[in-house]
Amino acid sequence: MLSMKNISKVFKTDLVETHALRDFNLEVAEGEFVAVTGPSGSGKTTFLNIAGLLEGFTHGDYFLDGVNISNLSDNKSAAIRNEKIGFIFQGFNLIPDLNLAENVEVPLRYRGFNAKERKRRVQKALEQVGLAARMKHLPSQLSGGQQQRVAIARALAGEPRFLLADEPTGNLDSMMARQVMELLEEINKAGTTIIMVTHDAELARRAQRNIQIVDGQVCDFTMYQSGERTIEKPHLVTGSQEPSNQDKVAS
Amino acid sequence: MLQIKPILSTLMRNKSGPILLLIQIILSVSIVANASFIISERIDLMSRDSGLAESEVFDFRVYNFNPETDYGAQNGRDMTTLRNLPGVIGATSTSMTPLSGGGWMSVFTLGESEETAKETEGAAIYYGDEQMLKTLGVKLIAGRNFFEEEILQGSPNQANLGIVSQAFAKATWGDEPAVGQVFYAADFGQEPVEIIGVVETLQGAWVNNSSLENSVILNVELAFPFTKFLVRAEEGTLAQLKEAIPAALHRDNRERVVSGFKLISEHRKSAYRNHELMATVLSMMVILLLLITSLGLAGMVMFNIERRTKQIGTRRALGAKKRDIISFFLVENYIICLAGGVIGALVAVQLGQQLMSLYSLPQLELIYPLVTVAGLIVLTTIAVIVPARKAARISPAIATRSV
Amino acid sequence: MFFYYLDLAWRSIKKTPFLSLLMVLAISIGIGITITTLNIYQMASINPAGERSSKLFEVRLWSQGLDTWSRLNQQITYQDGFNLRKSPVPVRQTPMFMTGFAVQTDDPEFTPVLENARVTDRDFFGLFSVPFLYGGAWDKQVDSEPAYQVVISEELNKQVFAGENSVGNTLYLNRKPYQVVGVTKTWNPSPKYYDVNNGAFNDAEKIFVPYSLAPTEEYQSWGNNQSWRNEPMDTYAQRLASEAHWNQYWVELDNPEQIRAYEEWLANYIEQQKLLGRFEMPDAKAEIADVAQWLKVNKVVPEDNKILVGLSALFLIVCLVNMLGLLLAKFLKRAPEIGVRRAIGASQSQIFSQHMVEVGLIGFCGGVLGLLWAWGSLSLLSAHFELEDALTQLGYSMWVLAPSIAIIAALLAGIYPAWRICSTNPSVHLKSQ
Repeated sequence: MLSMKNISKVFKTDLVETHALRDFNLEVAEGEFVAVTGPSGSGKTTFLNIAGLLEGFTHGDYFLDGVNISNLSDNKSAAIRNEKIGFIFQGFNLIPDLNLAENVEVPLRYRGFNAKERKRRVQKALEQVGLAARMKHLPSQLSGGQQQRVAIARALAGEPRFLLADEPTGNLDSMMARQVMELLEEINKAGTTIIMVTHDAELARRAQRNIQIVDGQVCDFTMYQSGERTIEKPHLVTGSQEPSNQDKVAS
Repeated sequence: MLQIKPILSTLMRNKSGPILLLIQIILSVSIVANASFIISERIDLMSRDSGLAESEVFDFRVYNFNPETDYGAQNGRDMTTLRNLPGVIGATSTSMTPLSGGGWMSVFTLGESEETAKETEGAAIYYGDEQMLKTLGVKLIAGRNFFEEEILQGSPNQANLGIVSQAFAKATWGDEPAVGQVFYAADFGQEPVEIIGVVETLQGAWVNNSSLENSVILNVELAFPFTKFLVRAEEGTLAQLKEAIPAALHRDNRERVVSGFKLISEHRKSAYRNHELMATVLSMMVILLLLITSLGLAGMVMFNIERRTKQIGTRRALGAKKRDIISFFLVENYIICLAGGVIGALVAVQLGQQLMSLYSLPQLELIYPLVTVAGLIVLTTIAVIVPARKAARISPAIATRSV
Repeated sequence: MFFYYLDLAWRSIKKTPFLSLLMVLAISIGIGITITTLNIYQMASINPAGERSSKLFEVRLWSQGLDTWSRLNQQITYQDGFNLRKSPVPVRQTPMFMTGFAVQTDDPEFTPVLENARVTDRDFFGLFSVPFLYGGAWDKQVDSEPAYQVVISEELNKQVFAGENSVGNTLYLNRKPYQVVGVTKTWNPSPKYYDVNNGAFNDAEKIFVPYSLAPTEEYQSWGNNQSWRNEPMDTYAQRLASEAHWNQYWVELDNPEQIRAYEEWLANYIEQQKLLGRFEMPDAKAEIADVAQWLKVNKVVPEDNKILVGLSALFLIVCLVNMLGLLLAKFLKRAPEIGVRRAIGASQSQIFSQHMVEVGLIGFCGGVLGLLWAWGSLSLLSAHFELEDALTQLGYSMWVLAPSIAIIAALLAGIYPAWRICSTNPSVHLKSQ
């Protein structure tokens, strides 16, 4: 469904060229739950921004459902973000003076749905995350975990092709974090593709597939099935088959 | 330490705020400088002395509508009636009222022959008798008043003696004494008028005319159906005289309409009303403009402080004193103010030129933009110091907190 | 989407009440001053002749001698006023001047009052479209064979005849009886364009008498009298024969052919007069000006008004720049929320529109408040300075103009801040840690 081929992103300043991503490759099939991990500075944020069409890139191609969506104009990117991608942020990023229903409805407004359609989708999304009863409350009246669930509802309301989550449990205590992850797993089982970026290895293990980025390149490629870990040889590898890359296996 | 360079580079990096403030200051200086100039010019205009006892003198008119009236004799009787009324200091009939916007004006001829003929400046013409000086309350500074027997009656063309205002004397004969000089009311050599006296100040009727200070009093009592009277009475007696005068005049002859009682001070207010209006509206503008610019500046400073809270805390942690923080903002302010002030002064002068060429305004004096800039510096200092002092109180501990 | 943006705008304004109030205040003050000066300017420059403005012409003649006045005077001599009536060209025409009378009635108890009056031909009423309440103007014949007839205004009719149909009644003007032939409806063009030299904003006269009576009744001129040379003027006959300017002359010409024909006739007239020794200037000419030109020539709109309008426009710009700065600060502060909206799919133009709607709303509020300031300041000015009501009443067009100018101005000020906020990179604000 989603395919990134040879993506490179270079930041040029007057003195320094920084390669945030180098020859980055990723294939995600429909229904998968993929975690992208790596230490800070590895390029996770750049990957996230590119995957979410918040930034462009220097080389490579990005395909979604077979359509090349590389480096589109702002309007087209915005449309795709609106219709095909569901964002979940570490800081929830709910709009404080809108109530839950109004928050969930924001992407639907930009899509141009009429009032009836919006109401239907909002209802469905909030029910999916179990907060339909508190539709008229303000975010400040909710706990952190509940706020993140509303954010997930907002991401789901547009029926996107995949959810893109950035450290979804980063601001939550362990109990709330577990609740959110359980929700994500539930949603994934129901058929929604999820790509999650995190630096927490524990969290990453709950996804089916882990991809590790180090220094802008895919490094490790681990699959987890039913909690057990199997290591496969990295068959999607960067340009040069240097032995040093293969040694860099993070635990 | 002034540290102008780092302050300057900070301004350059975040240009939009300072540029907007700069534009505001430039426009404010140009508007305020020109407006203040116009205001002060108008105030000068309005404070010109008319030479009269304005709150004691009033005018009114009488219309004798019986065509068989002997206007001259009636006029004489009327003046006697008026002068005998209690409270009246002086009364005279005349052709016009000072500062009233209506009256007679003419130029005269100097020289006896065609070769030497020259025109004088325009002057207001007051036809009157020997009581005119007393009635108006003007001060004689050379020569003498008319004698009662010198006053003629009837046609204005017979006038042969005149008392002039000092301004007219200077304009016509320069430093030579005016008393004894002769000018001609008609063409050269015709209808000579000998000057017998000079009054210090006597204004005419039209306040916007450049010849306002030129006046001539001629020794003829007019005899028309329509007569204007000037009366001088103690202050505050107008209300009672307004009743007493028509009553007294009607007792002598019923067939006339007496109307229009108005003090010279009221005429003055009417005459200068437009100028007062202009000065008032402009003053409103100046005050509001300065208010808005100051508020805008204070707002920008407060916004900057909020934005730079962490930086200020860090500076304090690194050793900046409260005084340094305040002076940081003040110096920033002064850089913008001075730059805006200089450019603004230039724009002000340009604007002044435009106003001068398009409308009949005099040229803007440079002191106005300079004083405006100085005033602006004072005003902006106040607008900046208040939020800056708040900024100086930001705790250095903020530096260690991550936001 | 517009109402969504309106809702967002209102919430945003409520969230920063002080800042929003400051912005509304700034723009309202600018609008208030601009509307005040515009109103005075507009009222002073109204052309009350309306659609007839281009058909009515005032005639000026260069009849002064050599080395005297250096430009056309606004008035003409009695001789010329008398002679110009002979032209067959204009559809309607009238000479005129201002005088005044002591007015009495048959009632001996009635105290005589002093009133201004206008001396004209009967065409005056048709020319200036003066409406009648009772009766009408005197017959055309009276213009050549004088009769003691008078037209009075509704106001005088109320004062003197208790407002009833007074056609046929007798009115005594300076003790002479005149027969009332018509009563006009209240008619007060502002400015008083047919005679701007004698008080451009004064009330119209209440009494009209035939021009043909002037030589007999020796009506005194109560308007301006201008002489360019010394002449004996002891008798009325001398005044009538003199070269003094104290009359005005208006004609109605309905099409360009008539205008041309009349100009030719005037040129011929001047030639004739030259043969009689008048019009000494070699290039003595005649000029006709329609109402709009006439008002301009006479500078009915004082220069001061124009200066005020100009300065207040600059003032408004300062207010706008002020608002721009405040908007920039406010919008940029909100960047994180905007980042979220952009991430979940708002396009740049949608964010731009959202903010322009907010700016427009602020502008609208500023415009309404500004209108209030303007109304207040005009009332104050009118009361303190005794300005003519005509000048200080808030024209209906201002009710529309104020919010319109405010909204347009605010939108102009808002373009840059809105553009800044919609083009910031959303990812910068998402990781707000």
